[in-house]
Amino acid sequence: MSTAIDSLVRLRERFAKDGPGWLVAKRDEALAAFLEAGLPTRRLEAWKSTNLAPLAALEFARIAPTGVATIDAKLAASLPAGVRVRSLAEVLRTEPDRLAGRLGRLADPKKSALVALQTACLEDGVVVELDAGVCLAEPIRIRFHSSPDVYDRPSAAFPRLLVVAGEGSEATIFEDFDSAGAARRAAPGFTNHVAELLLASGARIELVQVQAEPAPRVHFTSVHAEVERGAHFASHVVTLGSGLLRSELDVRLLAAGAETVMNGFFLGQDAAHVDHFTTVDHAAAHCTSAQEYRGVLADRSKGVFRGRVIVRPGAQKTDARQSNPNLLLSDEAAIDTRPQLEIYADDVRASHGSTIGQLDADALFFLRARGIGESEARVLLTRAFAQTIVDAIRDPELRGEIGARVERALAGLESVSADRSGAGGAAPAPEKGGRR
Amino acid sequence: MSKTPLIQIRNLHANAGETPILRGLTLELFPGEVHAIMGPNGSGKSTLSNVLVGRPGYEVTGGEVLFRGKNLLEMDAETRAREGIFLAFQYPVEIPGVANNYFLRTAVNAIRSHRGQPRLDAIDFLTLLREKMKLVEMPEEMMARAINEGFSGGEKKRNEILQMLLLDPSFCILDETDSGLDIDALRIVSNGVNQMRSPDRAMLVITHYQRLLDYIVPDRVHVLSKGRIARSGGKELALELEEKGYGWIEDEAGGAS
Ligand SMILES: Nc1ncnc2c1ncn2[C@@H]1O[C@H](COP(=O)(O)OP(=O)(O)OP(=O)(O)O)[C@@H](O)[C@H]1O
Ligand SMILES: [Mg+2]
Repeated sequence: MSTAIDSLVRLRERFAKDGPGWLVAKRDEALAAFLEAGLPTRRLEAWKSTNLAPLAALEFARIAPTGVATIDAKLAASLPAGVRVRSLAEVLRTEPDRLAGRLGRLADPKKSALVALQTACLEDGVVVELDAGVCLAEPIRIRFHSSPDVYDRPSAAFPRLLVVAGEGSEATIFEDFDSAGAARRAAPGFTNHVAELLLASGARIELVQVQAEPAPRVHFTSVHAEVERGAHFASHVVTLGSGLLRSELDVRLLAAGAETVMNGFFLGQDAAHVDHFTTVDHAAAHCTSAQEYRGVLADRSKGVFRGRVIVRPGAQKTDARQSNPNLLLSDEAAIDTRPQLEIYADDVRASHGSTIGQLDADALFFLRARGIGESEARVLLTRAFAQTIVDAIRDPELRGEIGARVERALAGLESVSADRSGAGGAAPAPEKGGRR
Repeated sequence: MSKTPLIQIRNLHANAGETPILRGLTLELFPGEVHAIMGPNGSGKSTLSNVLVGRPGYEVTGGEVLFRGKNLLEMDAETRAREGIFLAFQYPVEIPGVANNYFLRTAVNAIRSHRGQPRLDAIDFLTLLREKMKLVEMPEEMMARAINEGFSGGEKKRNEILQMLLLDPSFCILDETDSGLDIDALRIVSNGVNQMRSPDRAMLVITHYQRLLDYIVPDRVHVLSKGRIARSGGKELALELEEKGYGWIEDEAGGAS
């Protein structure tokens, strides 16, 4: 066993027996599953490209206590009837059995060791409940901050999100992971977040996530959504951090007319390792998935994109699209991109494509010929590359806010503005399904 | 009119890629002048334009270009633009993800900063933009769209003219801006260009059609053939070319070399 595991197993004892019996049992089962599997290693197919050794070596001094999440107070006070946004701890205290059978229904400790660890250490988080037919115009903003500035010894946080969306309900949920102490030197740590979203028929849920925790914090997110008949689930994942990150998204389309949009923009900087692993499971006929992850890799960063598309037998008339274009801004940056199609039905429209390239030389020249300096032109074009992902966010205020954060992150990159293609500006070299 | 030329191109030799295209081209424009360049396909008209604006992929192998007495060929592309050189491209690029209005404001402010003028804020810029858009009859909704994305051929050309009007250059090159325009668009584009004619600005209008020169009346007409100016004359030369084609000039030029 590793230092990390020892210290976490010890630290969880503080709260492992708290809460209703079903939860205590769940934690214990999850712990057993985790101890049996151990931290994932590169010997596992799903972890081939990502090395968790830096995590295994950490000796944790604490597990962040309750209050990891702040729910936008203004919104919480003005929520319409039929919408409840509460802390998980509060729901467990006031209605101990309310979440039994829901919490942990999708995120299975037996399938993922890190989900098991999250469940074993589960203490708090956010629960969003939408009654049938309610539409919430304002996004629900949830901020998870790791506040490493208080402790300079490693801390771990295990925030949880549960969304139960009734028939025909609509809402946007924004999860913002950043470090409150970003200005100071960040302490090493570990954020392990699991989100579960249950969408009843006709529900429309948009989940926007910004993951911007700086190195040396290790970030793991695992999102699981279940989409019923005619429901629509949109996920927008924006990754701007500089450390080791793994972001998993697992969407199950359960009945005809279920749809999902899975969008991602990831920026790798410094020595970041950003790994996005998506799975969309077409379990029924007449469902649609549209997936686009765009990556910009700078400095010595490494990107990984794995996109699994499963089309079950009988899932006829499936429409599954996936694309993963990437921009490499430095010779030392790399991307490993691999689609994984598992199609067991025959009347299916499925497409996938990944490209690896540099900025378009003609576009760059055009901007310069209009007086825009080369570095500004590079930032503009790199931002444009990210823009289609940002533009897909439905709420205009959120879209603007996240667009500005992406722009700031890009403007801060040295390698965006540096010319590495020579005066001639090498033409982009798209590589179908390529890896580097 | 000032006695010093705005731009002097002397015995210019240049390669496109590895291929020699310009072979000793000499041309001078004084402030206030409009010159037309005509010439067969592949004679080097776009190469000349691209060399003047510093496009990568072209190599000057001989000769010099002075812009207001300064060595133009030493400047990078953005400096040339800021110094007042503008090319309306024959094939404008589409840039998805960059909104037209954002791009235009960035460009206008880059150029204003270079000239020591204060930057325009969003509101002042919008006022300026609206005024210029009226001149080229472009609907406002096109400004929120990405640069040239999904624009028709004529709309792209009008967008080039809009950029010219906004950036206020002193030397404008129009590379076949009239190609592919319908009658109305031709009138709009020509109006835009005529709007820009001024005693301290010069223009080089590249075209295949005498028709454009009815709208934009040039002071001089040059024929480019095989990388050099094979003949120059007044605006009546364009009419002569329309009638006789380029064969007779190419024969003469061929005989001379
Ligand atoms: N990168 C390049 N490498 C090699 N040859 C090139 C390159 N670019 C242009 N050329 C060649 O240079 C010649 C001149 O091209 P240019 O575009 O300047 O002609 P043009 O006079 O503008 O023609 P048109 O009237 O068709 O626009 C052509 O034969 C063209 O094929
Ligand atoms: Mg040409």
